[in-house]
Amino acid sequence: MISRRNFITTIATGVAATALLSACGKSGSEAGGGTAENPTVVNYTWWGNDDRAERTNKAIALFNEKNPTIKVVGTFSDWAGYWQKRATEAAGGGLPDVMQWDLSYLRDYAQRNQLLDLSEAGIDLSGFEKTLLPSGKVNDKQFGIPTSTNAFAVYYDPAKLKEIGVAEPTGKWTYAEYQQFLTDAGTKSNGKYYGSTDFTGIWWQFNIWLRQNKITDFTPEGKLGFAKADLAKWWNLNADLRGTPAIIPSDKITQLLPKSPFGSNKTVSEPTWDNFMAGYIGDSGVAELKMVAVPSDDPENLGLFLKPSMLMVASAKTKNKDASTKFIDFMVNSPEVGEIFKTSRGVPASKQQREGTTFEGVDAQVVAYEESIADYLSDAPEPPIVGFGTLESEFLRIQEELNYGKVTVDQAVDQWFTSAEDVIKQNA
Amino acid sequence: MTQTSAPARRAKSGPPLRNEKSKQRRAEARTGYAFLLPWLLGFIVLTAGPMISSLYLSFTNYNLFEAPKWIGFDNYANLFQDDRFIQSVKVTLTYVVFGTPTKLLAALAIAMLLNSKRRGQGFYRSAFYVPSLIGASVSIAIVWKAMFGDAGPVDQILSFFGIGIGGWVGNPNMTMPMMILLTVWQFGAPMIIFLAGLKQVPAELYEAAEMDGAGWAKKFTSITLPMLSPVIFFNLLMETIHAFQIFASAFIISNGSGGPAGSTMFYTLYLYLRGFGDFRMGYASAMAWLLLIAIGIITLIFFKTSNNWVHYSGDEK
Repeated sequence: MISRRNFITTIATGVAATALLSACGKSGSEAGGGTAENPTVVNYTWWGNDDRAERTNKAIALFNEKNPTIKVVGTFSDWAGYWQKRATEAAGGGLPDVMQWDLSYLRDYAQRNQLLDLSEAGIDLSGFEKTLLPSGKVNDKQFGIPTSTNAFAVYYDPAKLKEIGVAEPTGKWTYAEYQQFLTDAGTKSNGKYYGSTDFTGIWWQFNIWLRQNKITDFTPEGKLGFAKADLAKWWNLNADLRGTPAIIPSDKITQLLPKSPFGSNKTVSEPTWDNFMAGYIGDSGVAELKMVAVPSDDPENLGLFLKPSMLMVASAKTKNKDASTKFIDFMVNSPEVGEIFKTSRGVPASKQQREGTTFEGVDAQVVAYEESIADYLSDAPEPPIVGFGTLESEFLRIQEELNYGKVTVDQAVDQWFTSAEDVIKQNA
Repeated sequence: MTQTSAPARRAKSGPPLRNEKSKQRRAEARTGYAFLLPWLLGFIVLTAGPMISSLYLSFTNYNLFEAPKWIGFDNYANLFQDDRFIQSVKVTLTYVVFGTPTKLLAALAIAMLLNSKRRGQGFYRSAFYVPSLIGASVSIAIVWKAMFGDAGPVDQILSFFGIGIGGWVGNPNMTMPMMILLTVWQFGAPMIIFLAGLKQVPAELYEAAEMDGAGWAKKFTSITLPMLSPVIFFNLLMETIHAFQIFASAFIISNGSGGPAGSTMFYTLYLYLRGFGDFRMGYASAMAWLLLIAIGIITLIFFKTSNNWVHYSGDEK
């Protein structure tokens, strides 16, 4: 006979025993250096599309083949789901050993002691530009190693421009000339194409404009470095263009998601990162796309910089530090990995990897673009403030309301500053 | 509680058997608890536990990484200064106030059509229920998005009749009608309940009314509606609560952004974005508790006013 008390005790003992057993099992398999029969398991996660998944799996297979005592196991998801998963894992103390990372979230996780300091982890950093490494540093510790760099550019489709009779841009242009180009493209195509998306809605282009005007985005103390008047000036820049064929309206953009207007052949140009080239060609099916530098009213100061397009990080709680850092070193430095990824992650950041990779076609175009702007580059950005992900998405959201005509520029600026100050206060 | 009162009442009947009976009853109670245990454990661990911890979190600043910091009622106070929160309340209330009655009207109308005796009625009943079986799924929201997009079927049909408003999905003024249509289309569950209610209305009432010369409208307002009022009450309550919790379809149609221009920023969607997008779990918990309280109050109001319009058979009213 089972009495109530007995029953509960039995269950409780059972549960405790199972937990104990599984705990033992875990420590049993993870302890030790790993052998060919019983390799050390390193969990690796990344975001991306199928193309990146295929390339990453190739790189992992190559690493596993070269290191029989280590077994890297990979998982991936799309961008939005990626950060939600990491947040819940971090809360539960179970981040994967090695992760692909983004600059926007580096400070959030590093300051909260979730990431491993890789400064002395034995990763070869000799091939990295000294100006690039600080973008993986938080409080003077190297938490992230850049895999590759990307730079901001204005893409355009030469075939569409020819079709509608608009001259190709040279990349040496002012904002007024850029706007004239967008207006020409929109009006001369008689409704077939728009000029571009509203470039004032892109945080990073705002960041470039601030640099052109010698204004900082965030102060070292983690406060805003620009004033309401600066943001108002930026959003007012396109005040006359919104609602004209120069800029594609927001309701059209919404319906094209998840594809971009440029990738859907609705616009003739698009300002964004240079490593998106292959993606745009794949989406739109056009034969060729070209890139030029962003406009600037000061021809000597383009405000451009190389940003780590992604970083490699390790969890602070990893039990396999050596195997994890070995894998990171392989991913950032090996020329064979460079051959697998080409420029789909951006241009390889490490010299060894970059020089060991042959670039052709689209990849050669991306590398050539970064070389063409080399003389104008300023320092890579430091990891932005905690909560930057929220600020960036708020920037996009509020600018969308502006495009819909739901708010005035002044109201939009007030809204963004309110939420920015809230985020800064929350994370202070 | 029930187990203490039941033996006490029964014990009066036979004093000699008391010991044996109560023993047996206790054994029964134990068995009952044993059978209840899996459910009870599930409730405590998976529902009550998280609820209590979310109540605690709602008074803290908690970002998932660091220990929660106690801040009292700050989260609740901040909510009312948050424009996006107010926007989400407006959007949700609009949806509930217009969507729920429309859906119930559709459900009742179709239930009455299906209540008449016709050949193949069983087939029609199943056919009308199908949208509700698949309606809540992710796939149907994706289909909806395609149907109401630029140059989608809806736009084409409307353009044919000279109403050229373009795609609904990207137009902030049209997303709410679209969401309401989506919920109205899922009328199946309340329809089945209405149908069951209609079957309970005694046919002799209608016969008597017809003898007295009552027309269709009179029969509907004087017999069908009063006789159906308990079922209407039940459906209204369930559908209202359900409507407050809309999430999946809004999430999919707006790509999780609540756009365009905040027009699909429903309460639960904003809660989710605050919690898992901005890592502000304390704030999100406060929102969850406020929603629970609001739904509780609305339910209470429904019950209080129901005395005036819900007629149960055997009541004097």
